[in-house]
Amino acid sequence: MPKQIAIYGKGGIGKSSTASNVAAACADEGYRVTIIGCDPKSDSSITLLQGRRIPTIMDLMREGIDIKEEDIVFNGYKGVKCLEIGGPEPGIGCAGRGIIVAISLLKKISRAIEDTDLVIYDVPGDIVCGGFVAPVKKGLVNEAYVLTSGEYMPLYAANNICKGLSRLEMTLNGVICNSRGALNEEKIVSEFAKEVGSQLLAFIPKDVLVQTCERDGYSVIEKAPDSQIAAVYRKLAKSIMGKRDGKIPVPLDDARLRELTRI
Amino acid sequence: MPVKKEKEPLIMHPRPSSIVAALYTLRDLDTDVVILHGPPGCSFKHARLLEEDGMRVVTTSLDETGFVFGGHDALVEVLEKVIERFNPRRIGIVGTCASMIIGEELHEAVTQVQPDVPVIEVDVHAGYRDNTKGVVMALESALASGIISEAEFERQKALLKEATLVEKRHGAASKEYLEPNRGDLKYKVAGRLLELIKQGKKGLNILNAKKETAFMFADINLAVAQVAQKLGYGSNIVNMVNLDDNVGLPKNRRNAREIKDDLKEKGFEIHHIIGGLDEYPVAGNTADRIIGEKYSDYDFAVISGVPHALPMNNINNMELFSVTNGPRQVVPLKEMGHTHVVVEIDLHPKTLGVSHIVESEFGATLREMVKDA
Repeated sequence: MPKQIAIYGKGGIGKSSTASNVAAACADEGYRVTIIGCDPKSDSSITLLQGRRIPTIMDLMREGIDIKEEDIVFNGYKGVKCLEIGGPEPGIGCAGRGIIVAISLLKKISRAIEDTDLVIYDVPGDIVCGGFVAPVKKGLVNEAYVLTSGEYMPLYAANNICKGLSRLEMTLNGVICNSRGALNEEKIVSEFAKEVGSQLLAFIPKDVLVQTCERDGYSVIEKAPDSQIAAVYRKLAKSIMGKRDGKIPVPLDDARLRELTRI
Repeated sequence: MPVKKEKEPLIMHPRPSSIVAALYTLRDLDTDVVILHGPPGCSFKHARLLEEDGMRVVTTSLDETGFVFGGHDALVEVLEKVIERFNPRRIGIVGTCASMIIGEELHEAVTQVQPDVPVIEVDVHAGYRDNTKGVVMALESALASGIISEAEFERQKALLKEATLVEKRHGAASKEYLEPNRGDLKYKVAGRLLELIKQGKKGLNILNAKKETAFMFADINLAVAQVAQKLGYGSNIVNMVNLDDNVGLPKNRRNAREIKDDLKEKGFEIHHIIGGLDEYPVAGNTADRIIGEKYSDYDFAVISGVPHALPMNNINNMELFSVTNGPRQVVPLKEMGHTHVVVEIDLHPKTLGVSHIVESEFGATLREMVKDA
């Protein structure tokens, strides 16, 4: 059984960058990796595919295609299997339902989520509706990670996600800090992680190199393998692949959360 | 390269619902109570009809609040109440459009309540083109809970595929919109049929009905045999029925037996069994083969139930009298070449909750017209 993880966090906090760099780092280590983008924007795997956009499951469904695995699974950096669920244009339809439908399709037709060592679900935003927890509810995820910075709003979102996870009786296996340069950031996120019953797995410093590589369509692992930031992602990848038990998180109340960000 | 599915014809006519199809399948599996997880109005008409048939159907009555905040607690509450109130031996939980769109997990409630009887969960909504999808989903779940065998599941699946094709070819799914039509006047059609019988013409009397609808369709075949007998031409009529009681889900076998017993008691001789009550999509092929071998020179045929499932090969030259319960089946049957098409309006509701043959209008008309013969 592969390690199946979901990365949650506030929109724009860097989930896709983290997911694709972790995927690339694990591929470097010789692991077979599958990454599944659950965001309607379908940008989770783009930096593993040299900037190429792949057809999403929802695109094909809309066109009335009888979907086979080879239509939706694309080989990216070092054989990382890339899939994008996609979804409707902003403001119409129901992206959550799209995820539910895509997940049941994947369960039926995809070997890429079974014959592999690591499956990463890159899930958009906070847990906003039933659809966005479909990978967890349908039993396709056995570890969850929360990505946040040390600022109040991303932490607020992270805490909300912990609420969702505890309702689903899903374990939280680690908190990752993607730094935005807030004061005492590592300390704040580390304390948050401890208080919800988890631990800080990595502190990813703000580095313009990540954006530069992304703009060209690459992960830093591929484009700048010897950089410091690449080493941070490698360390995080190793930590994720190592065996670790998670705990069902205990969310904080809002007063405590506010207090925490004032350290 | 991705392969595009063949473009299906537009559906602008409301179609039989997959949710309802799942409900009927659960009934055939002898489920005692089904919980519809969704709004109180969903599938209400069929839910009530099925109660006539002995299966309780209740709802979790999701409202706006439920749509927004989820219906897990409501489902748990109703499930607990159902166990306490009805003491069922087998429970079904069926999804609806609303609960499925918001991503409700039926299984979570079952895990929480832990009933000590089997629960068949069907994650179904009504957004499928063919309602047979609801049947397959219910059967899949029954298979997973060990209620039916793999062999029965495969058999059912093959039949459903045929049923879908039958409807696409000449049935309710054959056109984007079908006008309802009351069919030909029963009095006139009965008159023509009696005329042929009196002329000593040879006729086939075929029952090819879907499940419990046979309780009324069989009355038509019974009436045809009775009037022919009364007119002294009983031996000119060959009876074929899809009443094999050794196949199908429990209820279908039971019903086949009940109808056969009634027919026997009334002196109806079954010459050929062409299949079981769930084999209406394929029993027509068996009938077709028998007709080709033995009766291709017959003059007329009365076909009740699903007449459009009978291939035209060997009955092309006969005068055809078909009896359907679908007002939207009239035009397709006429187009196939059926000379007379009679509709038994509202047949289905009258065949729920019964264990004996129910009188049909066309049967009653035939009997009335030979009363003084």
